[in-house]
Amino acid sequence: MASAADVAQQIAKGARSAASVLAECKALIRAKDPDLNCFTAKTFERAEREAAAIDATYAEGRALPPLAGVPFAVKNLFDIEGMVTLAGAKINAGNAPAAADAKIVARMSRAGAVLVGALNMEELAYGFLTENHHYGITRNPHDRSRGAGGSSGGSAAAVGAGMLPITLGSDTSGSIRVPASLCGVFGLKPTYGRLPRTGTYPFVSSLDHVGPFANSVLGLALAYDAMQGPDPADPACAQRASEPAGVSLLLPRGIRIGILGGWFHEWADPAARRSVQLAAAALGATEWTELKSAEVARAAAYIITGAEGGALHRPRLIEQYEDFGPASRSRLVAGGLIPATWVIQAQRVRRHAYAQAMELFERFDLLIAAAAPAVAPKVGQETLLINGRSIPTKAGLGVLTQPISCIGLPVCTVPVWPGEGDSAEERALPVGVQLIGAPWREDLCLAAARTLEQAGIAAVRARD
Amino acid sequence: MTETDDNHLEAYVRAALALQGYSFGDAEIAQIVMQFSRLETISRTVFDWPLPFASEPAPVFRP
Repeated sequence: MASAADVAQQIAKGARSAASVLAECKALIRAKDPDLNCFTAKTFERAEREAAAIDATYAEGRALPPLAGVPFAVKNLFDIEGMVTLAGAKINAGNAPAAADAKIVARMSRAGAVLVGALNMEELAYGFLTENHHYGITRNPHDRSRGAGGSSGGSAAAVGAGMLPITLGSDTSGSIRVPASLCGVFGLKPTYGRLPRTGTYPFVSSLDHVGPFANSVLGLALAYDAMQGPDPADPACAQRASEPAGVSLLLPRGIRIGILGGWFHEWADPAARRSVQLAAAALGATEWTELKSAEVARAAAYIITGAEGGALHRPRLIEQYEDFGPASRSRLVAGGLIPATWVIQAQRVRRHAYAQAMELFERFDLLIAAAAPAVAPKVGQETLLINGRSIPTKAGLGVLTQPISCIGLPVCTVPVWPGEGDSAEERALPVGVQLIGAPWREDLCLAAARTLEQAGIAAVRARD
Repeated sequence: MTETDDNHLEAYVRAALALQGYSFGDAEIAQIVMQFSRLETISRTVFDWPLPFASEPAPVFRP
């Protein structure tokens, strides 16, 4: 499917109607989704009403909003008015339907985007796969024998398969960046607190972020800009005005870019290293640096996630343990037993790791690292082998993203195609690169992504 | 980890489960002990990291 900017421009010029774009989108979903299992619900009736309203606005000669007629879908932890918010869990299936859209879904609608459905995810957003015990496996659009990553797997795969130009997801420890890397799409995890989480199903309040996926950098920026702005209903949302990033995606001259070594190099396999090398060369980055607290920041994220997630779900774990998936229930209960001393120490580490990162940003404007340690694993693959070291797949896929979200930095993940691997099928798969900014500098992350897109280094490759 | 450590870990998990209102059979408890053991291993990393005594924790409550 065309990019969001192209779709919006065609509709604004009268070259296409929103109804015809929606018809194309529905046909793509009907053709591709049965193989991939991205959608858990479709909202086509609502979409038809929204598309008709856009076409009526155009017919009346009134100005159209920036995403007018652009189809999108959301991870099924975002509230959609009139639908039950599943968050990938059977325990939520009997809940009352949402009374209103989540805040950022409403903002996308206000910007003219047309909602077509809800997307599959890892149960309760706890994990880097989307091998959901209740709602099935979401498969990788580039190789059906492999996973889409998670927890926002449906969101990434739907864009990677060409069904949609924009989707929304959430990222607590890597749940936008890992599936974006594995499915070969653009993803933005903004600064912690930039976008409101109001009306989203929570997981780890002190780490939860929300953000977009897209098939182009401009589309990503348009969606991000549409969703910005304060929201007092989310206590973690920064009460700062919108800072539009899509206005100019030019990378300033003289920008200083550091390549993260140490932990980020050790846990990147040859394909992931090659992706970083390609991105660094195109951005003119030559200097290596190190975030020395990366390993401990990852550990801190683990402890905080376990404790908050376990505490959040405790009442229902007591009452409905068997209704949770086997991959998550014992982890959640164990997390709820973490002593307070561990959590407080983890939060102290988090502050300290943040201070170390800020020292790096005195020398650099952007940092780059791989977004996943390797290409997409096979569905059901138990372990990853990274430079001779074995790590469980479920935890290992987030090894490069957790240290960054732990300290809330903005990251744009771009799809790079390293052409490395032991087999032809592996050489055809992407590994994403994280473009990491200082807090509130999403504009630089997006501008660097745009530079890589224009250089032909970062691209979404269409799939039949 | 020694056998004594393992026993302490299991004893902690059993006591904490009871304190929090959970009631599980031995098979479920074994799974939870395994998961808790992983968390305990990771927790050592955060305690091994040298921090200034007065380091503030990250979350700040803003009324």
